[in-house]
Amino acid sequence: MQTTLAQVRIAGLAVTTGPLARDFVAEGLAAGQDAGALERTARTVGLRRRLVAAPGQTALDLCADAATRLLAACPAAAAEVDAVVFVTQTPDHPQPNNASLLHGRLGFARAVAAYDVALGCSGWVYGLQQAALLCAHGGARAVLLCAGDTLSRCTNPRDRATDPLFGDAGSATLVVRDPAAGPWHFVLGADGARARVIEVPAGGARSPRGDGPEPERADADGNVRRPGDLHMDGAEVFNFTLREVPAALAEVLALAGWAEPDVDALVLHQANRFVLSTVGRKCGFPAAKTPMDLVERFGNQSSASIPCALVESLGAELRAGPRRLVACGFGVGLSWGAVALTSGPLTILPTLPLTPAP
Amino acid sequence: MSPSEEPLWRALQADVDALADAPAGLDTVLAALPRWDSLAVLLVITHAEQAHGRALTGAQVRACRTARDLVALLS
Repeated sequence: MQTTLAQVRIAGLAVTTGPLARDFVAEGLAAGQDAGALERTARTVGLRRRLVAAPGQTALDLCADAATRLLAACPAAAAEVDAVVFVTQTPDHPQPNNASLLHGRLGFARAVAAYDVALGCSGWVYGLQQAALLCAHGGARAVLLCAGDTLSRCTNPRDRATDPLFGDAGSATLVVRDPAAGPWHFVLGADGARARVIEVPAGGARSPRGDGPEPERADADGNVRRPGDLHMDGAEVFNFTLREVPAALAEVLALAGWAEPDVDALVLHQANRFVLSTVGRKCGFPAAKTPMDLVERFGNQSSASIPCALVESLGAELRAGPRRLVACGFGVGLSWGAVALTSGPLTILPTLPLTPAP
Repeated sequence: MSPSEEPLWRALQADVDALADAPAGLDTVLAALPRWDSLAVLLVITHAEQAHGRALTGAQVRACRTARDLVALLS
């Protein structure tokens, strides 16, 4: 699906991370795992340190902190928020939705709409499309887009294929209507026939989690999971990424009428360095234009990874002036979203960890 | 190993660490290699993409029993 929306701009961005640093190599060594195998994974995939939420902290808490800071820094846009869109796979509850809980926590008026988008690593782009749509055609003057997850809680500690990957973070993006702003171009897609290569099999209406302990099963590589744990077939996800992401990027560039030299930065979902470097090469973008060091500091932050890359790698440039950006998220669904937009100058707040409650 | 298989195998060994120390010949059983795991499968898929422009699935790579099967996938 292609969408072009005009007269919208990003007013500001903020990201809040979990406060706890974890190192999967150190943890693996402490658990008696093979040092060579751990270092091989760290070296090849480009993972080591990640920041995760403290006990009791949720994606709602992380996003609420980012949103509170951002709204305070952008009072004019904050006064015009007409909708809250919350992208997450890890809501506080099956009901009510996170957007409504955030709406209440931040004290928005009852005329402000609030709804969730249940997506992961592609979700910031999907949420941005929703926010832009609301501003361009939906009567909203400004939209607060929050995107975040606590996927570190969804993995089995004995599943080496997923457990080392994820950091926890929440982002807030303020999108505003602006008659002077240029068009944004989106390409969204999904491969639902293969959706189950990333899944949490139990916990929904199809397969509710019972009260008792769930059986653990080991796969051919010795990775152990329960039905309520996140399962990801890394090879199939990688194959999906190599097939769909370059195609989506080519499509969105054509839609915008841009080529690689016209683009200041390609911001991909920060899955891991292995994926980012392979996709960047395949798309013909130089490494200098493609931030890929975030994941080694924060872990894979799901839907918060693109805003975190914008803040951490491009924050100074975006504060200073307009930049031509192409971003692409890809993951659970299987879904992907690419956007080409000109953004800046805008408010960029420092990325902060959320202090645990006493 | 045939003249057409040898360069394919050498290039695979250069990119996939689990294959680097494999015994000579293509009859090596992949499952017997100590580092033949999901990471090795990813490296094979990357090699196929970058060196041959071929999009392999994880299922295709995991279905290979021997080094010869892997080379045949790239032939």
